[in-house]
Amino acid sequence: MEMILAGLMDSIAPASLMYLFLGVAIGVIVGAIPGINGPMAIALFIPITYYMTPLTAIGFLVGLNKGAFFGGAVSAVLLRTPGTPEAAATSWDGYPLTQQGKGEKALRMALYSSVAGDFISTVVLILIAAPLAAVALFMGPAEIFALISLALTVIAGIGTNSISRGLVAAGFGILLGLIGTEPVTALPRLTFDIYQLGGGLSLIPVAIGLLAFSEIIIQLEKITGKASGQCSTHVFSSKREDRLLSLKEFFGNTRTLLRGSLIGIGVGAMPGLGAPVASFMSYDQAMKRSKKKEEFGKGSLEGIGASESANSSVVASSLIPLFVLGIPGNLAAAMLMGAFMIHGMQPGPLLFKENAQLMYGIYGSLLLASLFLMVIGRFGMKLFCKAVNIPAMILYPIVIFTCIMGSYLGRSSMFDVGVMLAFGFVGYFMRKFDYSYVAFIIGFILAPEWERALQQVVIISQYDTYMFFQRPVAMILMALTIFVVVRTFWGSIQAGRKKRAAAAGQHSSD
Amino acid sequence: MTRITRDTIAYLVVIGFCILMLTWAIPEYTPPYPGYGASAALVPIVAVCLMLFMACLSLLYLTLASLMKKPIAAEEREFPEDLQGDGGFTQVGRVRLYHLASIMIPSVLLIVAIEYIGYELSSLAFLIILQFLIGNRSWVQSILVAVILTAVLYVVMRYGFGVPIPGAQIFE
Repeated sequence: MEMILAGLMDSIAPASLMYLFLGVAIGVIVGAIPGINGPMAIALFIPITYYMTPLTAIGFLVGLNKGAFFGGAVSAVLLRTPGTPEAAATSWDGYPLTQQGKGEKALRMALYSSVAGDFISTVVLILIAAPLAAVALFMGPAEIFALISLALTVIAGIGTNSISRGLVAAGFGILLGLIGTEPVTALPRLTFDIYQLGGGLSLIPVAIGLLAFSEIIIQLEKITGKASGQCSTHVFSSKREDRLLSLKEFFGNTRTLLRGSLIGIGVGAMPGLGAPVASFMSYDQAMKRSKKKEEFGKGSLEGIGASESANSSVVASSLIPLFVLGIPGNLAAAMLMGAFMIHGMQPGPLLFKENAQLMYGIYGSLLLASLFLMVIGRFGMKLFCKAVNIPAMILYPIVIFTCIMGSYLGRSSMFDVGVMLAFGFVGYFMRKFDYSYVAFIIGFILAPEWERALQQVVIISQYDTYMFFQRPVAMILMALTIFVVVRTFWGSIQAGRKKRAAAAGQHSSD
Repeated sequence: MTRITRDTIAYLVVIGFCILMLTWAIPEYTPPYPGYGASAALVPIVAVCLMLFMACLSLLYLTLASLMKKPIAAEEREFPEDLQGDGGFTQVGRVRLYHLASIMIPSVLLIVAIEYIGYELSSLAFLIILQFLIGNRSWVQSILVAVILTAVLYVVMRYGFGVPIPGAQIFE
């Protein structure tokens, strides 16, 4: 009890509150800008958190991520350009409302739904993470090795249309994650005699290069020479009923919001699925069960509520696998895992035992972030429209320069800036050639832990490869890994056959 | 160049990289086996073998499909410009080398220039050139953005975080 109170008191310390508020505010603005999303914002801001305490750092980054999720809805509603992929379903009903002059009402619905989904999900995280972590403490190196193997295969499918390319990317991430001092011999490995690589590749320049720099290069391809950032002129009607959301309108969608939140929690807790899946799933369910199906796609508040409650509830629930097992379920969680590691902590079940006060502080910050999101969203709505309007020709050079200086900031090293540029280059080609940079980043982060687990298995079992057969949970996890790979390959073969059949049909009709 | 041709080249590059890692980099730059635990080369070899296996499998699939003259889906036959992948993560499309170079070359030159002429001048020049290259023709706006951003980051790094300013110092 003392720990809980001390943690919660830490979360309401002035510095924690200030950084949390700042995190949510920056997150909303950044998320509102098309092309910049939550994980990218986390990558850009991680270097700054070097200079914060662990609680303020994690609170700031979590706030940033929560804010970015709602921010994505702003450009989706106002411009029909989702700021983040998960806000795509929001644009289907949000933009028609904007065209009718009800943009403010749509934004209010998006905000209240986001806050509701986020709050419910945070409460679920608080209630179940610690008990699950207590169970997870019984897992040994064999189970951890099998679990990371499973996570890598599940995650290999994200961000690519091909599981084989996803696994190539994951393998590449693992390989580069192993550069540095080898844990058993304490000698340099794969450093190519470059002394700066002795401590391994730092996550910050790698993440900034892959997530932010390469993304901006591609965004610039789309906008160079084109006018961009036009905000609709008919966003805010002067009529009260067009601007405000009545209690009846909001609470009339309670079931949809609850369903969306539950879908978001379920999807977020499973590694690999992510917020866009939750958002589309919830929208689909809301449409099927709605009494006003015909309004969907034409400006339904229920559609906005379904999408936003689901995608926002993923933020907190995606922390469940991270806190319980030390496995990041999505890119934002992977970046947060990196932030934990930068501050000398290893996410996983031991976190509750070794840093209980910090964990309760993080819980307090998570709850407060929902409150701040409500306040910032409510009073900053018109400012967000201006953020959407920042010309890309000014914004993107600023982001590029921030990427360069952000990479330098971490270790005050120009070598890291070079690493960032190299990964920006690699990331550009990975995106263009459809190799999942999500799988790469997660492989890169999990590689040392995976190797440590393998080393422990080898040493404990004394080279007995049958050790897995004596550990039923590890065996089940390894079987699941094989099942996921086989199933995904089979699925892609089937999809390929369908495409070819369609192509053959088209060919013969030509 | 079609999507399939480009994918084939990419798989060959991956295979070449893996062979180089297995035959030269891993044996040369991995500590010797200490006599206990797993070898330091084990996990790197597993990772490289995973990449090699997947690339070979995909290449084999493409070769067989080509030999058997199977019909190819439109998005693979033609170049899938502006095709968005699942979840908005992938941006499969044509590589625009000129565009890539227009951002990468000034960035690399910035790193070199910082060492010789210092952060302030090199950053100003970099930001103005970059804005010009991406189509901003308003010189006043470009210079204003460059000056403000350079100054803000200077203050943040030097006084906010106490980080040494990179490169030669002209205001010392």
